[in-house]
Amino acid sequence: MAVLLQSLISGILIGGVYALIGIGLTLIFGVMRIINFAHGDILMVGMYLTYIIFTWLHIDPFVSVLITFPLMFLFGGVLQKVFINRVLNALAQNQILLTIGLGLIMSNTVMLIFTSDYKILTTSYSSASIQVGGGVSVSTPLLISFLITAAITAALYWFLLKTDTGQAIRATAQDRDAAQLMGINVKRMSIIAFGLGAALAGTAGALISPTYYIFPQVGGIFTLKAFVITVLGGMGSVVGATLGGVLIGITESMSAVYISSGWKDVVVFVLFLLVLLFKPSGLMGKSRT
Amino acid sequence: MNKTTLKAVLVLIALAVLLAVPKYVESPYALHMMILLFLSVTMGQSWNILGGYAGQHSVGHAAYFGVGAYTTMMLMHAKQIAPWYGVWIGIALVVVVALAIGSICFRLRGPYFVLASIAVAEILRLSAINLTTLTNGAEGILATELPAFKIGETVVTDFSTKVPFYYIGLFLIVLTIAITYLVQHSKLGYFFQAIREDQDAAHSLGISISLYKNIALVISAVLTSLAGSFYGIYVGFVDPPTVLGLDVSVQIMLICIIGGMGTLWGPMLGSLVLVPLSEALRSNMITEALVKVGMVNAESKVGIFLKENLSHAHVLLYGILVVLVILFMPDGLMGFVKKLALRRKREAI
Repeated sequence: MAVLLQSLISGILIGGVYALIGIGLTLIFGVMRIINFAHGDILMVGMYLTYIIFTWLHIDPFVSVLITFPLMFLFGGVLQKVFINRVLNALAQNQILLTIGLGLIMSNTVMLIFTSDYKILTTSYSSASIQVGGGVSVSTPLLISFLITAAITAALYWFLLKTDTGQAIRATAQDRDAAQLMGINVKRMSIIAFGLGAALAGTAGALISPTYYIFPQVGGIFTLKAFVITVLGGMGSVVGATLGGVLIGITESMSAVYISSGWKDVVVFVLFLLVLLFKPSGLMGKSRT
Repeated sequence: MNKTTLKAVLVLIALAVLLAVPKYVESPYALHMMILLFLSVTMGQSWNILGGYAGQHSVGHAAYFGVGAYTTMMLMHAKQIAPWYGVWIGIALVVVVALAIGSICFRLRGPYFVLASIAVAEILRLSAINLTTLTNGAEGILATELPAFKIGETVVTDFSTKVPFYYIGLFLIVLTIAITYLVQHSKLGYFFQAIREDQDAAHSLGISISLYKNIALVISAVLTSLAGSFYGIYVGFVDPPTVLGLDVSVQIMLICIIGGMGTLWGPMLGSLVLVPLSEALRSNMITEALVKVGMVNAESKVGIFLKENLSHAHVLLYGILVVLVILFMPDGLMGFVKKLALRRKREAI
């Protein structure tokens, strides 16, 4: 029972970070109908940014989120303005390829600068944990990162639901042409959405950096997980991505405990294929043809 | 002489020249480059049948490449089965894998198909890492000793030089190009292109979508697995990232995208651009050239940095090329050439 509870809790905690990654991808897809294959690589850039800030300025990774978030927002905005904006009306495969290419450039540039060695960011609390009782313990860095993701997600919901810009973003996602007719600057909304997506992915990278190996190719697996999360939740649905993230977190930690940690990603991908086959619109998505 | 006979004569001359190359070229490096070129054309041309003609942009072709490479190598390493028998088992396995993938992925369209194709390749890559008893896991399989190829009692070749590999590679590109040509000029090819242009319209005209998509996939997968088996025995080593990684799938696509999808010459043009460029980076030729011209001092910090790192930069180059091609030449080099020709024609009128 303790094992079950333990893996359930770790799953939910890591699921919070996955939710951030998924929400970023789903926002970008919702507003631009573009699947961002560079999402994991943007997360990787966030990890390295945190690593640099930690080793050079000695700022704690959880504090440096305050610097990483705006920097990654800018990075995403520039990416959108310079590259993505040019293929908004291109064929789907060209959009996909462009983002794959951008991802390859990011991971390999980082590899040129930092080499492909694994980096570890060790904080005083990296391996600390809190006893909850009943033989269940919670890893301190995971718990802090979960609290931060929860705060960011809440702020994001508030932003999307209550502010004018947030509503304009949701309107653009619902119907780009209609939004434009209503006087919404859809180009600016696209830049903001991509910036937000990148900032969320980068923040997720920052939050996992104390517990994860940092290396240039780390992005690939997160790109795929981000898809699994968004497809599971329904492409374009923010609520779906939040739920999807937590679900994938739990699935992963359960299969790591009850099957083996080597196979946990396989379980996630098989789940992904099953969702694509039997409920391609996802948990929260409207069925689309 | 009309155009078709002229073309046929030119192709025959090219083939004769390629057949004669090992007689006059002794440099193993030159032959190595030609073999890499053949491998690249084979991979590109195989993807082209599914991606270029039938319009199903699979980003998971590493699955077929890897299954071919792994099957041949595993049989040779563990059971001492010669690769020219192993290849057939590889093909049989790939057909099974392709049909399984087809039955799952072809129900999906556009981005969902792309995602599913990646997921399948990733499942295979992770399985190759985890099934250590079968595949030797992340360490990969090293098997450089090839048995001699005999017909009856006479030894045809013992694979001690690069020449036999050269001829196998040549055979592979002739095979794939011939198949592509046949597909392009047959009813099958028209069905593929109809599906690519408008799936629903093709369906309403009575073309069985799933049947023809699966035919395109099986042809494409079998040829890709042949390329994979050839890669395995030529290099003598396979491990999960080099034959099943996402990079492999992207590289296979890239050959067609740079050259031009859905054209016979596209994969060849793409390979002619990609292979020399990435080899020049890998063998540090570019750094040496920069030093020779005097742009970079070999002893300086920049020189040492370039020498140490530029050799790993060929994937970076792929990334930059993809971005440039998509932004500026979305139809690839062939599309670019065609556009130029069209403009000239118009100006002539």
